[in-house]
Amino acid sequence: MNFAVIGQNIVKLWLKYWDKFLITGMEYTLSLAALTVFFGAIIGSMIALMRMSKIPPLRWIAAVYTELIRGTPMLLQLYLFYFALPQLIPFLNRKQYLCVAIALICNSAAYVSEIIRSGIQAVDIGQTEAARSLGMSKSLTMTEIILPQAVKNILPALCNEFIMITKDTSLASTFFIGDLMTQVLLVKGATYLTFEPLVIAAAIYFVVTFILSKLVALLERRMRRGDIR
Amino acid sequence: MATNNELIRVVDVVKEYNKGEVKALNGCSLTVNRGEVVAIVGSSGSGKSTMLRCLNMLEVPTSGHIYFDGVDLADKNVDINLHRRKMGMVFQHFNLFPHKTVMQNIMLAPVHLKLKTKAEARAKGEELLKRIGLLEKANEYPNMLSGGQKQRIAIVRALAMEPEVMLFDEPTSALDPEMVNEVLDLMRDLAKAGMTMVVVTHEMGFAREVADRVIFMDGGQILESNTPEKLFDHPQNPRLKDFLSKVL
Ligand SMILES: Nc1ncnc2c1ncn2[C@@H]1O[C@H](COP(=O)(O)OP(=O)(O)OP(=O)(O)O)[C@@H](O)[C@H]1O
Ligand SMILES: [Mg+2]
Repeated sequence: MNFAVIGQNIVKLWLKYWDKFLITGMEYTLSLAALTVFFGAIIGSMIALMRMSKIPPLRWIAAVYTELIRGTPMLLQLYLFYFALPQLIPFLNRKQYLCVAIALICNSAAYVSEIIRSGIQAVDIGQTEAARSLGMSKSLTMTEIILPQAVKNILPALCNEFIMITKDTSLASTFFIGDLMTQVLLVKGATYLTFEPLVIAAAIYFVVTFILSKLVALLERRMRRGDIR
Repeated sequence: MATNNELIRVVDVVKEYNKGEVKALNGCSLTVNRGEVVAIVGSSGSGKSTMLRCLNMLEVPTSGHIYFDGVDLADKNVDINLHRRKMGMVFQHFNLFPHKTVMQNIMLAPVHLKLKTKAEARAKGEELLKRIGLLEKANEYPNMLSGGQKQRIAIVRALAMEPEVMLFDEPTSALDPEMVNEVLDLMRDLAKAGMTMVVVTHEMGFAREVADRVIFMDGGQILESNTPEKLFDHPQNPRLKDFLSKVL
């Protein structure tokens, strides 16, 4: 390997294609991650509620779903959804981006449901007992007492999930949906350079997730300070 | 039959855990009259907390009945929330809501359950806080308070519901020694004012002084129930004698 040449190539690639990587690629990557976590959180909340429900079949369905998703590789799920969804729902025919997004959302929902469930269960049981012994109903206890405290556990974990998904979206490049890894493949095709685009993408992924995780740490600290007040 | 003086009647209550592996209560019966102060004593694991928590159905008995104001709370058709309003409960670890101020802690249930308007609840809260000398803490969060202050606020929070009975589960066990008295003093005042109280306690001096009746529990059963003088000075049951020789 000739490092001087590689270095020159990286600079050249960057000057020529920086907008492909940084703008187009990151736009797809981050928007896909945001979309995934947003809908993942909504569906994940519902799964968490099912999992804590008093009705056994709801509990079972939620548990089986979570375990299935968490017990199979994400890339395999992407393939499954990518090929099965258009068969099941004709509307999704040749809508690769949507299929991939749905797969990511279904995957994330399982993990988010666990985040929410453990966030709720981490609230001291004494809080529930105190509220219920005042005559407050289950739902009032949930909305007034449990959830406001659980949010402090859930929000930072949800942000970490966003960071994880940002990296996981790279798997979706298998289907050429335009994210940062897809840009790597495109540039590689145009320039016949393999190594250099990867280095650029790695640097961008690293910088973005590094900044994001620092922000989460900041958020976490502020939330904990809220506790002490 | 039930005299109108009777507030709580517990009949043959059994509470099992882990599908019968643990029998926390093994056939307990007792009555609590209006205005009466009942202390429950016994060694650790004897079932005192379970007994107390069955009274407001925080633990649902495996079998038996709990009549409150003549209504069987163990009946599945009873709306327990309506009855819990009339039974204040105070916990060992206070369980104040940390994300709410002292005043919000006090006002929350009366306002949300539509028993009082906001203004009424606030006025009541101020009156109660003034009574315990903590009015200036109204807008503080619980973490700014000492243990004794927290527990007194927790008592006041329960009182704001204007309950017919107050249930205490070792209210001073988690406190530093120098804070025990401020809580016991408040409980003493309540008793003097005629509040019906059931108190699980390790404070034998307090039980002797304030209780009208003391109940000794062991192995999930009520082994002796008597006036404090008789129970402490002339214990009958050998287990009680053994217990008293250790704690007195
Ligand atoms: N949720 C539970 N699951 C299983 N066993 C339990 C549960 N709660 C209580 N027990 C058991 O029931 C018995 C009575 O417990 P309880 O808490 O009523 O005792 P206690 O008299 O209040 O003791 P302490 O003085 O330590 O508070 C104990 O043996 C305890 O281990
Ligand atoms: Mg106990």
